[in-house]
Amino acid sequence: MNLLKKPVKSGESFKNTSMAARGEPALWTMGGTLALGVLMIIAFLILVVWNGIITFYPGGIEQIILNDGSMIAGEIRRSESYRPSDDILKTVNTEWKEKIRRNKGVAERTLFKTGNYDLYNEDFKWVDEFNIRERTNPENIYYFERVEWGPFIGFIEKVELGGRTDIRPENLADRLESEHEKAVERRQKIGVIEKKKISDINHSLEEERLELKRVELAEGVDSDPYREAKQAYQEKTETLMAKYKKLQDEAENLKQENSQFKLTLKEIGGQKKTLLLSEIVRFYAANQLSLLDKLGVYFSRWLEFLTAEPREANTEGGVMPAIFGTLTMTLLLVMAVAPFGVVAALYLREYAKQGHLVSVVRISVNNLAGVPSIVYGVFGLGFFAYTIGGSIDTLFYPEKLPNPTFGTGGLLWASLTLALLTVPVVIVATEEALAAVPQSLREGSLACGASKWQTIKNIVIPKALPGILTGLILAMARGAGEVAPLMLVGVVKMAPELPFDGYFPFVHLERSFMHLGFHIFDVGFQSRNAEAGKPMVFVTTLLLITLVAVMNAVSIHIRNRLNRRFSAGHF
Amino acid sequence: MNHISDNTPSSGQATVRKTEQKVRKSVIIIDRIADRVITIGGILVIIAVLGILIYLVKETLPLFQAGEITSSSEYQQELPEGGIISAGMDEYKTISYLILDDGSLYLFHTRTGTLIEQYKMDLVSSAIKSFSATIDRQHFAFGFEDGTVQLAEITFPYEILTSDQVPENIITLDDVDSRAGNVIYTKIPDGQFRKISLNLSVDQPIKVSESDESIIAIDYRVSGEAERKTKAFVTVDKSGKAKLNRIKTKFNLLTGQKKQTIQNSELPTLENKSRIHSVLMTDRADMVLIVTEDGRAYRYETSDFAAPILAEVSPLLAPGTKMTSLGFLNGSQSIVVSGSNAALDIFFVINDKKRGTADGKALVKSRSYGIPDAVVSDFTPSTRGKSFAVRYEDGSASVIHATSQKRLLEFKAREDKKLAEIVLSPRFDGLLTIYEDGLIRFTEFSVPHPETTFFTLFKKVWYEGYEEPTYTWQSSAATDDYEQKLSLIPLIFGSIKAALYSLLFAVPIAILGAIYTSEFVDYRFRNTIKPAMEMMASLPSVVLGFVAALVLAPIVETWITAVLAAFVAIPLALLIGSFLWQLLPQHLMIRWQNAQKLGLMFVVVMIALVVTRLIGPWLEDLLFEGNFKAWLNRDFGTAEPFIFLVLLPIVFMAVATLVGWLFKNYLSKPSPDSPRLYIYGFDALYWLVIAGLSIFFAYELAVLFSFFGIDARGGVIDTYVQRNTLVVGFAMGFAVIPIIYTIAEDALHAVPDHLRAASLGCGATQWQTAIYVILPAAVSGVFSAIMVGMGRAVGETMIVVMAAGNTPLMDWNIFNGLRALSATIAVELPEAVKDGTLYRVLFLSGLVLFAMTFIINTVAEIVRLRFRKKTMQL
Repeated sequence: MNLLKKPVKSGESFKNTSMAARGEPALWTMGGTLALGVLMIIAFLILVVWNGIITFYPGGIEQIILNDGSMIAGEIRRSESYRPSDDILKTVNTEWKEKIRRNKGVAERTLFKTGNYDLYNEDFKWVDEFNIRERTNPENIYYFERVEWGPFIGFIEKVELGGRTDIRPENLADRLESEHEKAVERRQKIGVIEKKKISDINHSLEEERLELKRVELAEGVDSDPYREAKQAYQEKTETLMAKYKKLQDEAENLKQENSQFKLTLKEIGGQKKTLLLSEIVRFYAANQLSLLDKLGVYFSRWLEFLTAEPREANTEGGVMPAIFGTLTMTLLLVMAVAPFGVVAALYLREYAKQGHLVSVVRISVNNLAGVPSIVYGVFGLGFFAYTIGGSIDTLFYPEKLPNPTFGTGGLLWASLTLALLTVPVVIVATEEALAAVPQSLREGSLACGASKWQTIKNIVIPKALPGILTGLILAMARGAGEVAPLMLVGVVKMAPELPFDGYFPFVHLERSFMHLGFHIFDVGFQSRNAEAGKPMVFVTTLLLITLVAVMNAVSIHIRNRLNRRFSAGHF
Repeated sequence: MNHISDNTPSSGQATVRKTEQKVRKSVIIIDRIADRVITIGGILVIIAVLGILIYLVKETLPLFQAGEITSSSEYQQELPEGGIISAGMDEYKTISYLILDDGSLYLFHTRTGTLIEQYKMDLVSSAIKSFSATIDRQHFAFGFEDGTVQLAEITFPYEILTSDQVPENIITLDDVDSRAGNVIYTKIPDGQFRKISLNLSVDQPIKVSESDESIIAIDYRVSGEAERKTKAFVTVDKSGKAKLNRIKTKFNLLTGQKKQTIQNSELPTLENKSRIHSVLMTDRADMVLIVTEDGRAYRYETSDFAAPILAEVSPLLAPGTKMTSLGFLNGSQSIVVSGSNAALDIFFVINDKKRGTADGKALVKSRSYGIPDAVVSDFTPSTRGKSFAVRYEDGSASVIHATSQKRLLEFKAREDKKLAEIVLSPRFDGLLTIYEDGLIRFTEFSVPHPETTFFTLFKKVWYEGYEEPTYTWQSSAATDDYEQKLSLIPLIFGSIKAALYSLLFAVPIAILGAIYTSEFVDYRFRNTIKPAMEMMASLPSVVLGFVAALVLAPIVETWITAVLAAFVAIPLALLIGSFLWQLLPQHLMIRWQNAQKLGLMFVVVMIALVVTRLIGPWLEDLLFEGNFKAWLNRDFGTAEPFIFLVLLPIVFMAVATLVGWLFKNYLSKPSPDSPRLYIYGFDALYWLVIAGLSIFFAYELAVLFSFFGIDARGGVIDTYVQRNTLVVGFAMGFAVIPIIYTIAEDALHAVPDHLRAASLGCGATQWQTAIYVILPAAVSGVFSAIMVGMGRAVGETMIVVMAAGNTPLMDWNIFNGLRALSATIAVELPEAVKDGTLYRVLFLSGLVLFAMTFIINTVAEIVRLRFRKKTMQL
């Protein structure tokens, strides 16, 4: 076939072919569209990957003096050309006006990340090229990442470490570094107390309250068991409250200690701000960093991104819960989809009588793979969460009502919904894999005396396994990237708890969860400032498409390793 | 997969049977179990998957159902002599009351009819000449013979008690209610009780008519919050004088004192002294209607309280018909009118300058509900939504929803019994029908979705406050008397618009790319480029949506002219590229025909993009006076530039064909043996002339078109918004191109090679083979690829949620946003109340989406199967 496709080789025949017959312009149009398609993919991937990769790289901080004498300092995000409106053009001096006019009214501007949201009420600022009088890179300007309010960009005015303010400048950097580490350690300790230990107590309190409610529902308010339970409840509550008090004191002490380590900072305009050392996540003198330092900051940010919880309405910090949620959901999805999909395919291919009915079913299943995911989301919400979940709640969790336990979106319902969504994919893939197993193999096995099930188990399935796996991985990839149905069945902006923890029964499939895809939507579209969320969105996007691409690459790899003879495309 | 023989199982069993003694029992058992498990499991999975459809249908069916009567009771009351003026009940349907025309109040238990109390109200006179109640039946106005008016208020104060707070000596009324004096205790869940009673307060009389004329018609409205109530009423006295009164009450929270200010003004006198049927006023007291018995309405504009004007006189009924009842629906925008000719209509006051009324508005009949021979004698509006109940002269009654025109419940007439009054419960779940002889029937019903019918969901509906029937989607309620407008048409339109525009972009790229990949590159190259495209298919759409909305949309907005120019520039650049390519030495052409050629095309496309980016502003200056968006807004300029751009490629093709055809015999083409440079030189000149000609003709045509008033603005192009269909089209292209590309490429590739061989062997070029042999053979497969792509585009969610702006508009403007079915579900369903109307309508949207994609996919699948059969035969 490839021989045939080679064009006529001799120059002579070229000469004799009319131009219209060769259709070179049409060929170029076709090839050009293919090139455009490839170009689009490449441009898209470069955009996402490049933005994702550079996001965490610390840039220098530039100090700008504007034409009106005011100053701003910030990290350069990007530059763009735009058309200034007539109002803006009025303020421009004649020299620039002429330049812009010659440029067809297009001017350049640069976006600076100025930070200091608590002082400026914005953390990004567009600066027009024609509005800049002078730009410098001050040596001693610092970039502080804070636990709250986003970054602070400014100078260190005064340092107070454990009540001492007389630290010699040459020791300052080292002292600051080591004290910062300690302060962060204390902050984390407070975090553990407040989050883990106190939530333990809250959990116990809630358990006790529910226990009491259970007795009340079973025995009534006027019964002896209820009075006893109430007595026990009060005693237990008291001891728990005492514990709670102790922990609170402990946390209070640590906080007290932390409050003795603080910095007074000054932003470029001269406003001052006092900051506790413990409130700082990371800080560096942006314009003094060596390449190695920069890489250090870069990788520590990546580490934080992959392992920490989000801060600042998800626009900063990490995405660990989202990674965890995505992976758990995908895993559950595979656990649900694999047996059902394979069984259905086995039935359709090996057991059902091949007739009109089966072809109709096959067409329907094929079509279901093309039904929009949101429809499955609607079904999942109505059927799984409200109908089944609602019944589970009335049967097993009456004491928690009216707060739903299973009767609302959650991890389990989300993965079942996605399983339903991907089951046609698995059925189609498995069926094709089963069909590709030569009939002679089955016949040979049966002829040797194996039963039907033995044949399927020992001959057909092993032979079809790569195809089945490909289908499963494709289903996983589709499930991991799907967001729309999840918005209906349990994904949330900020999940307070992970689906796994130390409380019985340890796995909480009813809980809502976070998801990388939804994280992108949420941060990109629902945060206070789309610009502030953008870097985070790009990094999350990079992570998500890497995840999906890896799954796809694996499945394509498996498919390519299949014997070509068995391969079956769409036709 | 087509070689499976149907008799495999039987041959297998035969083998088993023969060697039965040697087979272990467990093997047989396991085999049987596996057989059963797989069969049952498989069937169950398939049923479950198909069950989605059934579930969705089940969830949406209640939308189309009318009301359902849940219980009903009947009792006879010994009413004192005299007619019933009005009646009402509390929101829990515990206590009902009747106001009788002798000024007494009659209280009874709603479900059982047990008399609770009866007493005379504290009225100045018993000669009640006119009466009015607000829609919620809490405020009343009585007009007396002596020209005074008295206002009253009925409330039902209630509190929740625990069981030990309930007094001992209560009399049981039914299974939940008990009574102690005039207080009713109702058992409610969690062992608690609700204590409820009726509280009547009657204000001091107000003298309205200075000349002591009897008040013959009155309408009373209360608006504002509890602390700052405004009570307004309009009266007509016997001499025909109409007066507007407003009482503003300010309640000082500190001192606890009430301050009342009374204002009044007189309406312009009626020109005609015909008998007045009734008077009506809006809640905000900005319009008054005085209607005569022959159905003539005098509409007064009273926004300026001190100086009301007569805006319009208009007949509400056909000539010679008598008015039977008149009133507002909840929200006081719809006027219900019924007449003795069995008419039952709703009128709106809409903005209509053409009628020439004093305030530019006009009374317009919007809907009719009349059924022949059924004369409506009275109607009563619901305080929930736009439903109302009517009673007919023959003693029957109906509950109707105004907007959907759905007849929710029908109550048959009882023999010889006339209805005196009907009362809808405040929560729209009960109806009290009171007959003139004192028989009372209480019916409890449930109408979960009165406002939806097939008609309201899929056809134009004339909503209150709109000038004409429209398709409208507006699901969020701003106020209580606001009506949800749930037409699915704008959403379906949005989905289709998004799909069509994105296919317009995606199909050429995908199909042409597929033909090229399948026919013109070698297999190694194909094996790398195809998986790359397939990888693109699995890009999460949330990523595409995010990039489209936050990265692409601003860029497209800034460089819109360049983007549009690219649609012309890229094909043009490719044509020039192909021309230059043919100038290459032949050995290079042959050696570079794979990756290198594509690489060159790549470069050409890039150059075209850079060039458009550079000439974009210049083009904008030339064609659109430097501001494309203002041009779109029709701030200036003529329609010519855009028509010219659109016509250019069409005219080009037409001119090329025409010239080729006309001068076929006169134009001596250089012989194939001439030097190549000569051939190409001739070619270049030839095409340049055609290009020149087509630019000329396109421009002339554009001038002609715009002279005849054809303008694309207002059609496919119009005002620019940032998140628009063009951006959606680009992003959706990313999602759809790989799908169409892969399937189309597979189809083309599946055409048997011997066809290619035969065609090439007969001396056809590759191009001729591809176009005249391969493509016709694969066309159904390619079509199915487009259908599958369309299915995906219709249902795509995240891209439209993020990049489409979500405005439920119905225009084809590519620079405007849209709201797709899928996006609406994703955005609104999480907040929709379970089993509410919106919830079910969104389920219906899901079902519509399901049906649309299912049909598209089935067509694709059937075409694909036919194609497969055909290629098998080839």
